[in-house]
Order: sequence, then structure tokens, then C-alpha cells
Amino acid sequence: MTLTEIIETFKTKLNPSKTMDSLERTANFYDESENGSGESDSGEDLKSNPYSNSATVAVKSSEATRITLNEKEPLIKLTDVWKIYQMGEVEFAALKGIDLEIYEGEFLVVLGPSGSGKSTLMNLLGCLDLPSKGTVFLNSRDISELAESELARIRGQMIGFIFQSFNLIPTLNTMGNVILPLEFQEEEPEKARQRGEYLLEIVGLSDKKFNLPSQLSGGQRQRVAIARSLAVNPPIILADEPTGNLDTKTGDYILDFLSKLHEKEGKTIIIVTHDLDIVKHATRVVYIRDGEIEKIEERTKNKSEK
Amino acid sequence: MRNSTYLKMALNMLLHSKLRSWLTIIGIVIGVGSVIGIVSLGDAMQASVQSSLSDLDLTKITISPGYTQASSNMHGPPGMRESGASTDSELTKDDIAALRGLDSIQYISGEISGSEKVKYAGQTATLSITGVDPQVWKYMTTLKTQSGRLLEPADKYVAVIGSSIASETYDHDIGVNQVITINNKSVRVVGVLEEKGEGDDSKIYMPIDGALNLITDAKKDVYDTITVKARSEDLVDSLMDDIVKKLMVSRHIIQEDDRDFSVTASKSMAESVTEMLSSMTLFLGAIAAVSLLVGSVGIANTMFTSVLEKTKEIGTMKAIGAKNRDILMIFLFNSAMVGFVGGILGIMLGWIVSYGLQSMMGGDMTAGGGVSISLMIEGLTLAIIIGVISGVVPAYRASKLKPVDALRYE
Repeated sequence: MTLTEIIETFKTKLNPSKTMDSLERTANFYDESENGSGESDSGEDLKSNPYSNSATVAVKSSEATRITLNEKEPLIKLTDVWKIYQMGEVEFAALKGIDLEIYEGEFLVVLGPSGSGKSTLMNLLGCLDLPSKGTVFLNSRDISELAESELARIRGQMIGFIFQSFNLIPTLNTMGNVILPLEFQEEEPEKARQRGEYLLEIVGLSDKKFNLPSQLSGGQRQRVAIARSLAVNPPIILADEPTGNLDTKTGDYILDFLSKLHEKEGKTIIIVTHDLDIVKHATRVVYIRDGEIEKIEERTKNKSEK
Repeated sequence: MRNSTYLKMALNMLLHSKLRSWLTIIGIVIGVGSVIGIVSLGDAMQASVQSSLSDLDLTKITISPGYTQASSNMHGPPGMRESGASTDSELTKDDIAALRGLDSIQYISGEISGSEKVKYAGQTATLSITGVDPQVWKYMTTLKTQSGRLLEPADKYVAVIGSSIASETYDHDIGVNQVITINNKSVRVVGVLEEKGEGDDSKIYMPIDGALNLITDAKKDVYDTITVKARSEDLVDSLMDDIVKKLMVSRHIIQEDDRDFSVTASKSMAESVTEMLSSMTLFLGAIAAVSLLVGSVGIANTMFTSVLEKTKEIGTMKAIGAKNRDILMIFLFNSAMVGFVGGILGIMLGWIVSYGLQSMMGGDMTAGGGVSISLMIEGLTLAIIIGVISGVVPAYRASKLKPVDALRYE
């Protein structure tokens, strides 16, 4: 542990930011169960959580999430990206020459109808797939040139995924699911557990630690998924229709949560959706249609709390 | 990802696995169980044969008239052996004289045998009587008395009787110094042999001079068998060859086909019995191995299905940072664990099978008993290896799934 890190820890310990308070309030507000005060960890924020001081993982605490050298340099850059699927004899281009730059700290919404290629785009942004043509740069590195294990490392450390259908591992309990990304990063079990407890507290599911996903409601499952996406404290959260399978109230809670993560934690949030409602949280909206970018709209974030 | 985590994930998969996985495990259980059961049964049989062979004098060579190719049929008293080829050849004093010159021979004696009516306390039974040379018999035989003594050179109309004659054949037990009547001739019992099992317990041994007068077809200086004791076990093989050569010459036999006597060593009998046993064990073991093979195909099958079923989970795990190696290891650990559980249960089954078969065969195979520790370890290792081998291909395929394809899988 370097001196700066120690100082960093002290700073956050002595001067507890109120960052997560509002998040927890949201969680408590939402949570049907009492979970009254939630004071145990309320003094800490994501920065001072047990995980961020770990030296074993290359993921930096949110203070250090500035991974790009400066604000001018995009975190993710797509240049003339094509994705072509071979469907028997016919070739089908899901993406037709996408140029897009995503900067750190953005709340980007990719909006498009189904079949527009937005899911394909998200797979490329999340290093789950490689482009047929063109290049995807993540932090100035061409992902096509990286080995599979390197891509796995990037996915594990830089990107938190949230899926429409939650994609929890059905055989693992809530806690197991949340700390699974930490297991892949070989975090010490005790630290992982602490981190898991902390994250479950934040999403208001401390009392569901040992439940299997099948014993949770949709909203609860998505909150587990969010906790999981935050496990390694990644700088980027990538969400694919996160509210698609949820009712409006639950969906709003999820979006508020993501929105606060963006505001207070400075995380880069990318949401792929066809839901126009989500746009109100965005700082930038990319409209995509038929594999091409229709228009890009800068927005000032709608701050009004519901 | 750490090994402990792989183990945890694999265990989690196993615990939440469907009935199908448990059926797969049953396949391995049966495979391992039958292998263990049969091998340990074989061991037990071998041990019991070995212990009865240890009583056998391995330096003993028996020469009998008539030549049969299958000279290694049942081991047992020479007189009881059926001579495979019915020839009119005989062994005589001349043969003994011819053999006396061989250096490797320690003792040599001619024996006659026959079945006669033996009366005791008003009851009659037909028993096998063997006439032996009292000069050397007590040095050549491995038999021991439980009471009384063996035959001495000066004896004539005395007998040493098997334990079952003494205690079972007649209503009244026969003790030392009691008199039995063989072909109306009184014979005094001087010794009762220890119990040996098999046919040996109902035989009467007498000095050959006395027996000659009691056994109906016996002729002087004609023997039913000639028994030779080699100086040491190592000399047995060469001595057998020498005996054959010597007798061929002395009996004026030129061609192998005309041979009219056979030479058998109890050592080679012991060897062939052991050999037969181990080849039987091998054969049964091979059958058991086939069931193990079927079990391992079952594991592979289940693993393939399981990979297919968990495609989406694999995609999710890859999305949240699992490397190909992590996926590979989780599935490998899982199939190894299936093997492990199958192995443990299989050992239990094998133990039961082994015990069941042993008690069914009725033998007192105390020497073999249950399943040995080393066999258990071998069985368990085998099961785990089989698990891993059957899991390699499915696990490899799982690890190579492209995350985007895996995630799209429904």
C-alpha cells in the first residue's frame, strides 16, 4: 500500500462523504422490509469499502478511476465499426460503420428499436465480441489485438455488466452471485465477503444474502445484478435494457440508482435500451437505427428527483 | 481464480445438479463397485488358495503311469487322481532304481493305493488306502498328526487315519491304539492326522508292505505312483526334465508319443492354479472395466448436456471476468467430483459385493477379508481419473464458447 493510498483511506475514514447516504436512502425507501437505520456502513462510501484498498487487483478506487490520460481522450472509441453476420448465403450487417467516442464520466444512452444493432453495439463495447471491420479502442487499445484472457481481465476489472434478464447464476445464492466477479479476480475470501455485505446493504438486500435467485422477485434480482456489477468497482457500468423485464416502479429505482452512481461516483454508465423514458437520465443520447447512428444528442441531465 | 474457488463452484454445481447427474454417478458407482468387488474377491481367493498351497510341499514330484496332456488337473492326492489315459503301463521297482542315481532327488518312494472296506465298531465304510514307504514317508509328507505318530520304518499293520475318519465316518470316534478291520485284517491306528480340508481327511495311510496284502489288486514291486522329493524348490524344473529323460531311457521309449508315464510337480500345479485364478480375476475384471467404461461415457454425456444447459451461465461468467481457464477448471473439477463421489459410493458397493460373493462361495476366506486400503485408493483414483478424462472434452468446449454467443443462448 502506497503512502497516498493510506492517506486516501484516512481521508475517507475521517471525513465520511455523504455519497452513499442518498443511495441507501433510496434503497431503504424501496425496500419492503424494514432494514431501518442502515447506519453500520453509512459513513463509508464506495471509495473506502474494504475492496478498494486491496492491492491484489488492478482496479483502482473511484478516486483513481480516471483511467484516460485527460478529458479529451475517449475511454472507448469506435472507428468505422462493422459487424457482419453470415446467415447462410446472405450476409447481414448489424452495424454499418459506427463512429463513436465515449468519454469518462458520461451517462450514455444508446437508443434504438429492436433490430437496430444496439445489442451488437453493446457486445462490442463490453468486449464480448470483436468487430468484423473497423476498430474498437478501449483506453486507446485495440480490443481486436488482445488475447482472450486479456479481454476477460478487462471485462472482469473495467466493466460491470447489467443484463435485461439479470443473468444471475441460479445455483449461487445472492451473496455468491455478488462476489463471483471478485472470485474471478482472486480476491481474498474475507475481503470479498465484506465487499459483498457492503454492496448488498447498499441495494437493500442484506436480509436476502442466502436466498437463491429463484426465491427473489425480478426487482430484487436486478438489484443483486447491480451489486454484482459493482463488485470489482469497475469504472464502466454497461447495462442492456436493465429495466426491460421490470415494472415501472422497480425500473425507476434501478435507474435512479445508476444515475446516482454516475453523479456521486463518477462512473461511466452506458445503457442500451429502446425505452425513451431512460433518456432523461442521460448526458448524451445516441440514436441508432438499422446499424447506423441516426443522431447524437447532448443533454443536460434531468436532475429532478421523482 | 483459485483452486478452492473452482472446488466450491464445482461442488455447488454438483449439489444443485439434476437427477440426471445422480444417475450418471450411479453408472460410475456400479463400474467402480464391480471392479473393486471383483478384484478384492480375486485377491481373497488368491489368498485362500495361497494359504492352502503353503501346506503343499513344493519340492514334491509325482510320477504316475499313463500319459495325459492335461497333467495339471486338480491337485490332490496322487492316488485319487484319475489317470487320463487308460494304459496298461505300470511303474515298478526298476523305475525307482533308475531314478535313484539322480543327484537332485532327496527322497524317493513308491506308493500304492486303493479303496477297501474298512470296518470299525460294527460299521463298514469304503475308504481310500494309501500304502507308503515307512522308511521315508515321514520325511516326505507335509501331513501332521493331531494325536499319535506318523509311520515308523518297523511298522506293518498299522495305520495313520485322516481326521474325518476318526471323528465323522463312524458313529464312534476312533482314537489312537484302536483297531480297525480292513479286508478282515486288524490294523492298529497309530496316529490321527490334522484336519486339512478337501479329500485328504478321509484317507488311511499304511506301510506299503501291509497295504500290499490288504489292497485287492496290489502287486509286489508295482506302484501306482512314485513320489520324489527334490533337494530344493529351485531344482524341481530341471529334475522333472531329468526324470522324464531317465525314465524314457530305462523304459525304452524313443518317441514322445509313446510315453506311458507322467510327471507332475506340485509346484507347477500350484502355479497353474494361481495362474488360473489370476486369469479368472483378470477376465472378471475386464467385464467390470467395461461397465466402468460405460459409466465414463455416461459422465461425458451428462457433462455435454450440462455444458449446453449452462451455456448462458458460462456466457455470464465470461462477461463478469471469467477466463477460459476458469470455465475449463470449473467443469473439470465438476466431472472429477462426479468421479470422486461415484468412487466413494462405488467402494462401498464393491465392499458389499465382495463380502456378499465371498460368503456366498462359503469359503472361509479370512485371509482376504474386505477391501484393502490400497485397492480403495486405487479405485478412488481411477474414478477421479475417469471423471476428469470424460470431462475434458465437454469442459474444453465450454471454455471455448464465445461470450457473446453463450449469452445469446436461451
